[in-house]
Amino acid sequence: MAQKKAAKKTSAAAAVPPQLFWRREGADFLVTNDFGHYAWLKKKDFDALAAGKVGEKHPLFAGLSAKGFVRDRLDFDSLAAKWRSKNAYLNTGPGLHILVLTLKCNHKCLYCQAAAGGAGARDTDMTPATARACVDFAFKSSNPGITIEFQGGEPLLNWPALVAAVKHARSRAKAAGKELKLALVSNFSLMTEEKARFLMEHEVSVCTSLDGPADLHNKNRCFSGGNSHAVTLKWLKYFQKKNADQPAGIRVFKPSALLTVSRYSLSRHKEIIDEYVKAGLEDIFIRPLAPIGYARNLWDKIGYEAGDFAAFYLKSLDYILKLNRSGVVLKEKMASMMLDKIINSRDPGYLDARCPCGAAIGQIAYNYNGDLYTCDEGRMVGWEGDEVFKVGNVFRDSYRKVMASDATRACVVSSNLEAQPDCARCVYKPYCGVCPVYNYEVQGSLWGDMASNDRCGLFKGIFGALFARLKGPGSEALLKKWVEK
Amino acid sequence: MSDKVKKDGGLRLDAAVYSGEALKLAAFVFSDRVSVTLKPAKGGFEVLFKNAAPGFAPGDYLNEALNQQCRLDLAGKNSKAAGMIATKALLSAAGSARKKK
Repeated sequence: MAQKKAAKKTSAAAAVPPQLFWRREGADFLVTNDFGHYAWLKKKDFDALAAGKVGEKHPLFAGLSAKGFVRDRLDFDSLAAKWRSKNAYLNTGPGLHILVLTLKCNHKCLYCQAAAGGAGARDTDMTPATARACVDFAFKSSNPGITIEFQGGEPLLNWPALVAAVKHARSRAKAAGKELKLALVSNFSLMTEEKARFLMEHEVSVCTSLDGPADLHNKNRCFSGGNSHAVTLKWLKYFQKKNADQPAGIRVFKPSALLTVSRYSLSRHKEIIDEYVKAGLEDIFIRPLAPIGYARNLWDKIGYEAGDFAAFYLKSLDYILKLNRSGVVLKEKMASMMLDKIINSRDPGYLDARCPCGAAIGQIAYNYNGDLYTCDEGRMVGWEGDEVFKVGNVFRDSYRKVMASDATRACVVSSNLEAQPDCARCVYKPYCGVCPVYNYEVQGSLWGDMASNDRCGLFKGIFGALFARLKGPGSEALLKKWVEK
Repeated sequence: MSDKVKKDGGLRLDAAVYSGEALKLAAFVFSDRVSVTLKPAKGGFEVLFKNAAPGFAPGDYLNEALNQQCRLDLAGKNSKAAGMIATKALLSAAGSARKKK
């Protein structure tokens, strides 16, 4: 009905297509629009669309007009609803609150970005009082649901602050009526039955790092106190069993793991994925390295070009889909989040691919001393002596002051794709986002220069792999299953 | 006037391609690698480089100047949409202000 009305009003207008983004891939053209719709077109169909010659008798007319690609058939109500759903984060404040409980760590990972000190380092532990103040600050967020994530360093090296923050957050959530999720990111090396019980009783989900088979994991994640890989697997199994059993009165979440891809990983995608399957994990989050923090100093040893990662990602995606076909349940997390936008027009809460990015307005990083940063990467830049991404302090600054700080506003403006050359016309713009911290660290300005930006190349590689697989009916069905509502 | 490399290693740039604003913004981006001096010249600008860090190439500065120029040109076209998105994001994050009674 709405389509017919729109058609009447604009029938006299020239039939040129509304704004769309496109990219040629071999003989075909991928077209997308701001509403998040996409279509693969043959050259003759693309030419017809560009020339405004997709009329009612054209075989693709119905499909393209329903997706908002035909000017005199725009259903504004439906398209606007799609845009709103995909960009729902524009209506809320920071949902992710990262508490850095300590900078101490008992691992020395090759790619560590966390600016971690040794396990014996002093004066970098968050006090329980500061932890409670951070929780209070997080509850000032305008977001109706918040996630508090405990990180480090190794957060289990500061157990008293973790306990204080968890208990305080649970009691604040009851009083405030906010939805609260608690999450711990740990290497598990200091996990005990007692700590695990406390975490499960307070519904704290756990996430760890698993970089693949033992030799690769232990090469990336050096642990002088023992075998990091063995400890990781031991506790993954423990939490998986508890999740399966669901002890009375306790809700235990499935544990999850993160994969950080170093140069050593590039030739071993099958072994890495097999390790995840063997460990009983149903998700794998294939994350690229960024030349930030400790990794920057070792970039010539462990780093790689965007194209190398894209090739690794593509091989991994194909291998996961192959496993899916044989009945193995496994999803790649970054792909799932992107697909959620592409297929469901839904905001998956992925802060790295938003417009504007999630810096401060989507997440806040709380340093051990109560200093606030746009994100954890921004905190690492601060640790290196440049406080450009510092937005305040929990004891000194109000929530509104932090949201209006110079760094917050600069990040919002500079990560707005509407104002980014290249991005503003990119076919992947409806689903993508830029990172001002990466741009600042690697290219010297918050805006960066996308033509020579490796992160941009990396995202283009990931989107390219996903859209190529969405073209094939077999893989399309499997990928759609990953994000079924 | 086309872009020219001067004998002193500086550049003469055409105002039809680069605005002074873009050249200044690019100079800020390179401020930790080279000292850039801009001077108005007939039909454009003279750019002088001093105290360049090893590896600095004037071409990199020009790429950045073009990037900044594209950004400024784009802002002229998209500033309304960009402004609405940024304003919405910042106001939503700040939450509603309590009205004074």
